[in-house]
Amino acid sequence: MTGVTEQTEYSADLAGVFVESVRNLGATVEVIKKSPETLCVSLQKATDGEQFVLLADPDFLEPELFDLFRQDKRVVSQPTKEQLSTIHAGVTDAFCGVASTGSVCVSVSKNLTSPASLLTRKHIAVVDAGTIVQRPRDVFSAGSFSMKNLNRSFSFITGPSATADMGPLVIGVHGPGELHIILLSGRDPHGV
Amino acid sequence: MGNINDYRIKPRQVADKAVQGALQEAIGLALDVETEALRHNTQTFNQNRYIAVQKIDDYEDLKQRARNIKEESIADLPDLIGTLTKTIEGRGGHVFLAKSRTEATGYITNVCLSHRARLVVKAKSITSEEIGLNHELENAGIEVAETDLAEFILQVSKEQPSHIVAPAIHRSRETISELFKRNFNTDLPLETGEELTRFARDILRKKFLSADIGITGANLIAADEGAILLVESEGNIRLTSQLPAVHIAVAGIEKIIRRTKDFGTFIELLAASGTGQSLTSYTSILEPPVELPVLNLNGRTDSKREFHLVLVDNGRMQMRDDEDLRETLFCIRCSACMNSCANFQAVGGHAFGGECYTGGIGGAWTLGTTGNIDKAKFAELCTGCSRCVPNCPVKIDIPGLNAVLKSRLMEHSGGPSFQQRFFSDFSKSADIAAMAPGLVNWISNLPPTRAIMEKVIHIDRRRKIPPFANRTLSKQYLQYRKADYPAQGGETTSSVVVFADVYTNFNNPGVGMSTVRVFDRFGIPVKLSRVFDDGRGAQSQGLLKDASKRAGELAPYLVDLIGGGDEIIVMEPSVLSMFRRDYRTLLSNEPQFERIAAHSFDPFEYLEKLTAEGHLEINRHLNITSWNTRHIFYHAHCQMKTIGAGNSAVDFFSRLRFTVDTSNVECCGMAGSFGYKKEYYGVSKRVGDDLIDQIKNALAADPAAVILASGTSCREQIRSELTVPVYHPMEFLEQLLA
Ligand code: SF4
Repeated sequence: MTGVTEQTEYSADLAGVFVESVRNLGATVEVIKKSPETLCVSLQKATDGEQFVLLADPDFLEPELFDLFRQDKRVVSQPTKEQLSTIHAGVTDAFCGVASTGSVCVSVSKNLTSPASLLTRKHIAVVDAGTIVQRPRDVFSAGSFSMKNLNRSFSFITGPSATADMGPLVIGVHGPGELHIILLSGRDPHGV
Repeated sequence: MGNINDYRIKPRQVADKAVQGALQEAIGLALDVETEALRHNTQTFNQNRYIAVQKIDDYEDLKQRARNIKEESIADLPDLIGTLTKTIEGRGGHVFLAKSRTEATGYITNVCLSHRARLVVKAKSITSEEIGLNHELENAGIEVAETDLAEFILQVSKEQPSHIVAPAIHRSRETISELFKRNFNTDLPLETGEELTRFARDILRKKFLSADIGITGANLIAADEGAILLVESEGNIRLTSQLPAVHIAVAGIEKIIRRTKDFGTFIELLAASGTGQSLTSYTSILEPPVELPVLNLNGRTDSKREFHLVLVDNGRMQMRDDEDLRETLFCIRCSACMNSCANFQAVGGHAFGGECYTGGIGGAWTLGTTGNIDKAKFAELCTGCSRCVPNCPVKIDIPGLNAVLKSRLMEHSGGPSFQQRFFSDFSKSADIAAMAPGLVNWISNLPPTRAIMEKVIHIDRRRKIPPFANRTLSKQYLQYRKADYPAQGGETTSSVVVFADVYTNFNNPGVGMSTVRVFDRFGIPVKLSRVFDDGRGAQSQGLLKDASKRAGELAPYLVDLIGGGDEIIVMEPSVLSMFRRDYRTLLSNEPQFERIAAHSFDPFEYLEKLTAEGHLEINRHLNITSWNTRHIFYHAHCQMKTIGAGNSAVDFFSRLRFTVDTSNVECCGMAGSFGYKKEYYGVSKRVGDDLIDQIKNALAADPAAVILASGTSCREQIRSELTVPVYHPMEFLEQLLA
């Protein structure tokens, strides 16, 4: 906590903890610079080999961020029922991340964020590093929760879906078996 | 060892413990075919919980906050129900307050019928089990698909849950695999966890995509925003609540709290206490009906989302008015009290549970929601070991509740049994026995006597009756002070009184004398108290009035000693736990309790305190180098761990450069009188297996290792299987004196 101004140092700290927590959950995470170009490259890599990709309109991030990726021919934004229940990969934004648990918070909104993060086998969540809070309970504190009236219904997503009901731990049950998180950083991501 | 899939009785047949013999049959079932899986699974949860709560840096504060929120919410419950109803109706949802189970199931069935539902997908909900929902829906011709994988297994096996969080915890992968192969006609491989999961998932995905209505429970409900909290790992709750246009949530009224932001206090506690995670995969906060457009993947043409909240009373308001049972309503159903319970680990919720509620807290829920105390008979499996107490996230005194249940069971059956009277009045029998201990010991272990004891007071004849000492502690002490070691002024300022509890006085005077002699040598002025029955025996049998009476008689004597500057040293951990925990309720005199609690110590706790304060230099009194091993295996008594005294002996001997290995079992299984009872002998032995195995391992590593245990009954349990010497740590310390 010395050197750089405390504010910046603190959030880099949070991002670092977040990244580690996500990895401990058996999910993957990358930190990239926040721009349509870098995001498009990352999303294309993360969805490599997928025939279709369900892209939910973002609830929180600027829609323009996804403009480049949306031009990818595999991207479906207005799915038919058939597509909704069969597409393997879903891309959504998340309105915040939680450092201590590696969770991302995904809205249940008028957009298809929730189904795209649930009906698919692979979920890719895009979250702004500036929204990371320390602990789950902080999402409910005045600063973050009431500020985003849009997101009154939401899910903390903490790793892929899992069960131990059949004996050993199995990853991938009713929800996705793979979770990839793209963390958008305003600064040089290598600093994180 | 049989196979659960073709065992002669099915769990459902023995679920209602009011039926004569059901509890015994259920214990048989559990020990025969469920115990392996149970033990492995509950102990894994238990260990993970200890790790998870350690990561919450303000765990104790957080628990207190959760407790406060629940206390306030239950106090304000009628008001909160009003606020909640207004909030949800204001958003276009529906709220139905069901007084009884039939009102609840009737309402839900009507909603389903009004939508011409043929298939309902359902997420795990104990409250729906409580009201018998599936049965009613099926009677109305509606198919119900349980979507939680454990519930799916139970739907196939036609069993009821054995655990409130992991309902199929009594089943191993092998028995599930066999069950599926018998029930489904498929060529798919069904061996590994992955294969079984994929198989069930594929069946359930089809159900999700064609279901008309989704029914969930709720972990908590917030009145201010009409928000519900749903905690899960599989994703089935999200699907159930969001795929069909109609979502019904059914929950007990006690789930309501005032503020959504207080969910923040509970979510980490719930995940850590339940499955030992920092958060489960999905923790959803919904304010239904949600804004998500109707997806109609089921082929319907529903135009808007519909939400029904069914709040179930079914006895809860009465529980709220019942001074003893009220605390039950704070329960957030995390299952920590099950996973941390040694008896539950051995027999699970089919034995230690009723038709839907399981474990230590299950008895109070069963009584509260059925009004039938006999159905709560399984509360007798709570030995009062208290290991659940520090692990309950809302700080419920679960053993205290079970003591109340035992007392009500007893009243209902027309007063205490011979057995209950025997254990409760042990001090009286001991007084008489002390006149001719040799004779009593001889007679009491004769086969005919054992047969009578087994018949009349149900003491299992396989248990050795702990012998009465030739000379009681008080006699030995008098003799010692007269002849061998007249009391002297000591080096330290404060003096101590060794409390002559009934067990130490009549059965284990050696332990008491060791303490006196060690303290003498350490220069700590020490006396012996009068012999007193502290009430533990009565309390453990559910004779609460007797226990209160005895506590009330003893308390002024102790307060007097303390007033005279003495500290109380207690040899028997269960007695120490009375002074530090149970007397709070038994005395109903807070200042008296606080005083006694603050001045009672385990001997090693006290020695550690003196050392820390710089009043004691133990090394110069001891000759340790002569001892033939540096290895100690120590089993801390269950209640001692709960009151925070479980580590003192470990710290003490570690400072003397012993390597101290500790058992990691929650309880030895003997638990005072429990292990002597014929009905529970098998459970007690099963629980003891873990401790015995650990001791065997320690002895395999070093055959000279010293085995120490603080509790009389723990030592008896160990001696019933092993022939090595087992000491109270004080007895061992005496041997180290220079
Ligand atoms: S009584 Fe406490 S520990 Fe047991 S399930 Fe309820 S909240 Fe959890």
